[in-house]
Amino acid sequence: MNQTLATKRRIKIKGDSAWGYAFIAIALVVFSLFTAYPVISAFIISLQEYRPLGSTYVGLENFKDSFASELFWKAVKNTAVYTILTVPVNIFLAFIVSILILPFKKRTQTVFKAIYYLPAVASGVALAVVWLWIFDPLKSGIANQLISMLGIGNQNWLGSSSTAMFSLVLMSWLSSHGTAIIIYLAALLGIDKSYYEAADIDGANFFQKLWFIVIPFLKPTTLFLLVTGVIGSFQVFQNAYLMTGGGPDHATTMVGLLIFNNAFTYFEFGQAAAQSLVLAFIIAIISFIQFKFFGNDVEY
Amino acid sequence: MKKRLRVLSLFLAVTMLVSLLAACGGSNGNSNASNNKTGTNNSSSTGNNTSGSEPEKDTITALLPPVSANYQARFADMEKEFNELYPHLTLKIEPASWEDMTQKLDTQVNAGSPPDIAYIGSASISKYANLGMLLDISNALTDEMKADFDEVPYQYMALGDAQYGLPAYMAVHSIGGNKQFLEEAGIDWKNVQQNGWTYEEFREAIKAGVVKDANGNTTRYGFVFATAGVTSKDYLSIMAKSAGLPDYFDKDLKFTYTSKNFLGLLEAIRQMIDDGSMPKELSSIDAGKRWNMFLTGQTMITGKGLASFENSARLNNEKIKANDGSAVADSIEAEYIALPVPSFNGADYVPTTVVDGYVTFRGKKEPTEEHTKNVALATYYLASGKVAANANNELFLAPITKSARTAELVEVYERNEDNVKADEIMMSHALPNRTDIPTELAAEAIKIETEVIIPKLQALLAGEITPQDMYDAVKAAAVKSFGEDGVVVD
Repeated sequence: MNQTLATKRRIKIKGDSAWGYAFIAIALVVFSLFTAYPVISAFIISLQEYRPLGSTYVGLENFKDSFASELFWKAVKNTAVYTILTVPVNIFLAFIVSILILPFKKRTQTVFKAIYYLPAVASGVALAVVWLWIFDPLKSGIANQLISMLGIGNQNWLGSSSTAMFSLVLMSWLSSHGTAIIIYLAALLGIDKSYYEAADIDGANFFQKLWFIVIPFLKPTTLFLLVTGVIGSFQVFQNAYLMTGGGPDHATTMVGLLIFNNAFTYFEFGQAAAQSLVLAFIIAIISFIQFKFFGNDVEY
Repeated sequence: MKKRLRVLSLFLAVTMLVSLLAACGGSNGNSNASNNKTGTNNSSSTGNNTSGSEPEKDTITALLPPVSANYQARFADMEKEFNELYPHLTLKIEPASWEDMTQKLDTQVNAGSPPDIAYIGSASISKYANLGMLLDISNALTDEMKADFDEVPYQYMALGDAQYGLPAYMAVHSIGGNKQFLEEAGIDWKNVQQNGWTYEEFREAIKAGVVKDANGNTTRYGFVFATAGVTSKDYLSIMAKSAGLPDYFDKDLKFTYTSKNFLGLLEAIRQMIDDGSMPKELSSIDAGKRWNMFLTGQTMITGKGLASFENSARLNNEKIKANDGSAVADSIEAEYIALPVPSFNGADYVPTTVVDGYVTFRGKKEPTEEHTKNVALATYYLASGKVAANANNELFLAPITKSARTAELVEVYERNEDNVKADEIMMSHALPNRTDIPTELAAEAIKIETEVIIPKLQALLAGEITPQDMYDAVKAAAVKSFGEDGVVVD
């Protein structure tokens, strides 16, 4: 009896499903090597004092040090402030731009989509160089020339604690909405025209259609953009690294930058791994809360 | 047909996966060659060469940035010449940009497979030594090789009794002025070059260098130093050297930035901005910006200065004269005058000497005696003779080896004799490197520097905290790290 079952299983694997297993094996190997292994490895390293010639086990010391570090909590606070200031505004801006593009013909929509997506294709370093030029602290700087027209004096945009975070936020507000715009436009095009026609018959104006048709239909899209936006924002590194280096006085030190510094400036890989796991945990909690409170009536 | 397509798809997918893994998993050929050879030597050939048998073949890898204008263009010749000198050895040079250099090296070091030789600053030696990844070549260098080097730069590549490489050059970080503006401000720059100046004299001089327009707006500052980001570290450390704080630790290994000299220096740094001699936006001015300000006549003195800046200014002057469009926009003809930094708190002038060089690394496997000897040969080849002479010449720096002083130069550059003399005087005040500071103390000091000193300095420059606030913050961090007994109290 057992022998028969084993033979049947072998036959089954040799059939169509064998090809399936073979194909998913490739994805599985890639996932195991480049996602699962680094996560497990990060966990192991977080319990060690890492040295290339032989690490030593230190238990939860790296976690304790991180929780006791004022700088770590300051970086968490900075990251949270940056996220709160950028993600909702970026989603709102992408939504507005999508609504403005929607009435155009398909070809014009494509042109606008391409234009808005362009910064995402450009190198982040190149964009940072342009923004450094805009935030030139002297009078010749573009941002300073603009505000001088409003009678406001020279600002040390990236060099002052009071303006450095705002400068990074402004940079986020004014760049890279392309992906969100494309996703919003796809969702807007998916709303059946009959809803608008029914609203027209009922005499609904533009804002009523927006409130009662568009926004409810876009809720799953908005939730998706919110969750991915918050995850991306909590992992922000490049802008702070290239624009301010985390300064002045750690006013723009984000968790991602702190982890990078611990790993590659001080070679404290154990602490960097511990902090990256704590960051992953924070992101997971926030994502859970977002789904819990905003995802109740969202269907996928 | 269907089956064939399946097989083809699977084959393509597996090929993709294999190529992906091959690209990620393989270290470069240079490292492999070197490591394999090291391993082979380890197991079979230690000491063989001393018995008179044929020396074993070996490959030495070097990660080198564009040290000077034509340095990387000579790599092929260097590899060839080294192989002619030592037929059993192959020197494989991997070029790297300055931007990539640290990251590339750090990645290789932390993976346990660094190159045998890397061109970095001597200040980084303690960082890598702390990881146990440096190779001590003191026993592999012959007395003749050691005697070729000037003593002070040679020491910079040492830590304790170990010699972790050989120096390529020693340069003084100074400041530089526009000759015309210095004279208009009534500054006897020749006297300053020869005898130095105190902070009080310097403060008055840079005040005199400020020019304002009819509306009271500053069109030229007296002094602009790059302080944005990491350059703020240079600003503070260069000034601190001549403020009675030549190092983070005194001879008793007590942290010095808790002394009142540090507070005095911070007050001076703030004063120069408050006087209007330096821009209030100083904390955002990077190295490129302040050099642009020098060439466009927006500052009388700039920092930090290197000997090669004289050449940069001269080249720009030639472009202006020739109406060449590649001259810096809005630039004026400016003759660069090298000047020493002022001395603060009545302390002696101590220049910041920077020694970069060829640091020697080891991999996970214990290097054999023979491989260590071969690495020493390659390091010496790069740091001396013709190779060093031409690199130093292109950087406007005096050679630091006897063999480089007598070596043939590819090109001879025009130099300002006053600047040459000034550099010699500044260099004569250079202090020997401290090799007695334990790596753990040095690492802790670097952490305080990055987490407290630089951020607080940025806030001080931006006018957000007072010198006393910064002093208190640094003192608190130092006491936390080194204890009450581990810091200087005066």
